[in-house]
Amino acid sequence: CGAIPISDLLDRASQRSDKLHSLSTTLTQDLDSHFPPIGRVIMPRPSMCHTSSLQTPNDKEQALQVSESDLLSLVRSLLQAWEDPLVVLSTSANTLPHPAQSIISNKIQELQEHSKSLGDGLVVLSGKMAPGAQTISSLPYFGGNDIGQDRISKLINFNFLLSCFRRDSHKIDSFLKILRCRAAKMLPEMC
Amino acid sequence: VLFPPAKPGLTSCRSPEKETFTCWWKPGSDGGLPTTHALYYRKESSETVYECPDYHTAGENSCFFNKNDTSIWVNYNITVVATNALGRAFSDPVEIDVVYIVKPNPPEKVTVTVMEDKGWPFLRVSWEPPHKADTRSGWITLIYELRVKLEEEIDWEMHLAGQQKMFNIFSLRSGGKYLVEVRCKPDHGFWSEWSSTSYIKVPDYFHREK
Repeated sequence: CGAIPISDLLDRASQRSDKLHSLSTTLTQDLDSHFPPIGRVIMPRPSMCHTSSLQTPNDKEQALQVSESDLLSLVRSLLQAWEDPLVVLSTSANTLPHPAQSIISNKIQELQEHSKSLGDGLVVLSGKMAPGAQTISSLPYFGGNDIGQDRISKLINFNFLLSCFRRDSHKIDSFLKILRCRAAKMLPEMC
Repeated sequence: VLFPPAKPGLTSCRSPEKETFTCWWKPGSDGGLPTTHALYYRKESSETVYECPDYHTAGENSCFFNKNDTSIWVNYNITVVATNALGRAFSDPVEIDVVYIVKPNPPEKVTVTVMEDKGWPFLRVSWEPPHKADTRSGWITLIYELRVKLEEEIDWEMHLAGQQKMFNIFSLRSGGKYLVEVRCKPDHGFWSEWSSTSYIKVPDYFHREK
């Protein structure tokens, strides 16, 4: 069968990234459901997200000036940066002191599966794009496997890590949707 | 008797297109004295406090952040301060990221026409995205929903149209007068308000009822 066009690959990838971000949003809501309103307004941020050193555009003008290969490189770097921390979230979810612990744990598994399948798809996609798309920045996670001893610090650190993932999954989704619309130039009704 | 002002409350922050945003607040009681309000914000990982760049564009008790003042994927920590001669009162701080407060304007140029297929009428509804939302570049991805009903009925019939900007509605009542409205939502945000109502009358030369 003929090679799958890039526009189709990008369409599939952005559907997966959309799902990935939506999942992280419902997970955040599941977590929030346990905190009193005041606690939810300003949740402490123990540190910066481990991916914050990666320079990404932070408004439309900047984003639309980034080349296709650089956008895909950003996406792959962000996704890869979450391989280890998602394992930490997964193992921590099993003992999370939260009434919705099992729901949260299942959804983290789902996150891992979607993240893995998106990553696999992007390997194929980047092979079809300019060499720059192969570049992946290393964003190591130094947080370790332990997210805290006492109940409150476990919840705060888990919530913080998830908020970082939620933000990065939104970036991944946004960049893939820009790429999708650029690839869909011949199909204006797509965008 | 005169008092310091009561605590104001930040009521909501919204972005119509992920490029600008506005916040609104509700003043508390003014304690019987002339009272002013100011909005201050700080961006994540920065200690610099800024004041609202524009108190006017979005009307009373509001602060508008234009494209240059708006960054996404960064938390804004926002507080409103009420001040009169006897003192000040601070709102509870609220933290927002513009990507999570997107509520577009309604779809535009909603057009409804009666079409015919093998003798059966159907409605073709088409629309445009709100002009402020840049869907063409992919910066914002909108999905749409329609609702349609006969003039005399109460309940609407809902249709999700996905990203399409055109939708056909079948099973019409011969001679019926229909109302149609459309709304939109970003992939990760809030539904817009419904568009203004479009009216259409289906000719009554078809004999069979719905």
